[in-house]
Parts: sequence; structure tokens; C-alpha cells
Amino acid sequence: MEDKRSELKKIIMDTRTLPTLPNVISKLNALSDNDKASVQEMARIVSSDQVLSARILRLANSPSYGFYRVSTISNAMILLGVNVVKSLALSSSIFAIMEKNSVGLWEHSLGVGVAANLLARKLGLPECEEIATAALLHDIGKVIVSLKCSEAAKEILGLTNERQIYTMEAEREVIGTDHAEIGGWLAKSWFLPDKLSEPIAFHHDVDKSLNHRIKTSVVHIADVLIKASDFGNSGDRYVPVIQKIAWDTLKLDEQIMTELVAEIEDKLIEVRNFSLEMLGE
Amino acid sequence: MQKIPLMLAKAGMVLARDVFRGDSPVGMPICGKDTVLTDALITRLDQMDIQTVCVEGHPVWEEGERTFDELLQNLDRRFEKSRQEPLNSMLYDIYKAYLAKSMGG
Repeated sequence: MEDKRSELKKIIMDTRTLPTLPNVISKLNALSDNDKASVQEMARIVSSDQVLSARILRLANSPSYGFYRVSTISNAMILLGVNVVKSLALSSSIFAIMEKNSVGLWEHSLGVGVAANLLARKLGLPECEEIATAALLHDIGKVIVSLKCSEAAKEILGLTNERQIYTMEAEREVIGTDHAEIGGWLAKSWFLPDKLSEPIAFHHDVDKSLNHRIKTSVVHIADVLIKASDFGNSGDRYVPVIQKIAWDTLKLDEQIMTELVAEIEDKLIEVRNFSLEMLGE
Repeated sequence: MQKIPLMLAKAGMVLARDVFRGDSPVGMPICGKDTVLTDALITRLDQMDIQTVCVEGHPVWEEGERTFDELLQNLDRRFEKSRQEPLNSMLYDIYKAYLAKSMGG
């Protein structure tokens, strides 16, 4: 089994066929790590990608932000903040990879992103945008499995239906690893920061997350909630067990969860319309 | 809460969300949440070109829509493997109560 896993890692990490992040994101990452970079410089890089520019302007002008008539990328970056623009750049390119493959999984990821954002805000956690991005990306490993090993993906699906087990268990049996670990490998190969790669790699094993356990816990709980809500299709038909360590890390209780469920369901009505609109485009 | 086309709105239904002009939540709401709809109000909203409203409960049944019992059965199935865990059992109860409330039960 160990052979299979390392062989698979080789296949998955084969850089020639690995989905790459657009150039603009790596440049943006490099620039934003540098304190001296100005917003204007970053805006110039973003402007070189017309699809991304359009999305950023659309977001900055969207009613949920409440700004009016933002027409330049540098203004949008100042208003939204560099981190939001980075998250948006990252998630919109992930969506480009995901959308084509599986609408159900895309909806599930979108739902977990929304739930994680609401939970993080509710608890007053810092870096809500990063948490939401990690949540959007948490199942990216599943996309890679279906892209790179479509035969195995069918076998995994067959096994989950036949034996009524979790996708995770079927993956470990068929390919010797699971989508979370694969997502972690991918995040590493994209040089994403730990605060994104840890929640992706450990959203099913919160106790293994050492440096960003709070973020990982949020993504784990959000994943459980969206599966309970039956929004989108993650491939899993059963709600995972809530990990006690995540619950304790976030100091959750029944009242918080009751309020959160109502808030999430309320928001999902809008998300459903949004995702229908995106698909119609 | 249910989002319905204005043409299916009836007097007596209660708004679950503020209504904004042009469906955009910026600016002043033209009709507040918790308002009880009347025929005159519905006509007025129609004249202002409002397409949809969110109302309390679940007053309109669309064809092919799942009933409360069906939703509950699906919920049971989703929690089949984890309901014996105390935290999941709590979450199950929360969702069950939410479904009951949103379906107007």
C-alpha cells in the first residue's frame, strides 16, 4: 500500500500535468510578502489578467460590499484589501479548475466557504478571509484525484455506494492515501502559506494540525455543517463525526450552533442563486 | 423562510427580510421585515418592479418540492453513521428543529 501511495504521489506531483496557478498569483504572492511593494505595483500585475480584473471589479462593486462605482483595480485593492484580492485571485483560479469537473463539489466547496466565514466572524476570529479561502480549497484533493486517476475515482465512488462508507475510507483503501493529504501536497507544491495548507491537509484530522489548529477546526466544523445541510455534493452521503478537539478548540456550544445553522441556511439561499447564475454564464 | 415570486404572495404573509428596490441590499429598504402583506402593499411592490420576496414559514408549495417528512427522512439518512455521537446528535436535533421551523411547522 505504501508503494501505491508514493507512486501516486509521484503521478500527482508530476509538474508537467499538475494544474498550475496562474502566473499572476505567484507574482502577487511574491510582491505582497515584500513590505515595500505598493498597491499600484500589485494593481498593475492584476490588470494583466483581464478575467481576474473583471472579477475583482465585480466584487468591489457588488452590493454586499456597499461601495459605489469602483472603476480602477488599485481603488478596488485599497477598498477590499490586498488579502481579499489575493484570496479572490486564488479561489477564482481554483474554481476554473473545479467548475469544469464537478458542479456538485464546487457547490459543496462554496457552501463550506460561506459557513467557515460565518463561523469565523461569529467567533470574532482574525483572518476570516484566509479561513474562508482555506475552506473553499479544502476538497481540492478530490479534484486532483478525479483529474489524475479517473479510474480510481470511479472505484472509490463505487466502493462508497456499495459498502456505505465514507469517501475518506474508500480512498485509503483504493489509493492508499486520501483527498486531504493530496490537497496538502498540492498546496505545498503551489507554495501556499501554512495557514491555507494546514486546514486543507487536516480538515479530517484536526489533532494533527499543530500551527493553525483554530483555522483547521473552523474548516472541519464548516464541512460537517454543509454536509448536514445537504448543500452541494461532496461525494459523501454521511455527515462526518464532529471531532471533539475542534469543538473544544473553538469553544462551541449548542446556542452558537443553533444560531449558526439559521445564519448559514439563510445565506445559502443567496448562494444557491449565485451558483445558478455562475453556471448560466 | 421561503423566497417566492411576488405573484405568488398573498395578503397575510409576513416578510422575513427587508425588501429593497431593484433587489439590491444597498440604500433604504422600501418595506421592512416582519411586515404583514396586504393586497394594497403587494400591488404597490408590483408597481415598484419587485420580483421576489422572502416570507416567513413555507406558504407556497411548488411541484416536486420535498415535504417535511421527506426532508426528515433524508436528514436521518445523512446522520445514520454519526448520530450515536453526542455532538452529532446535538447537531441533528438543531437541524431537525430548523427544518420544522422553516417548513412552517
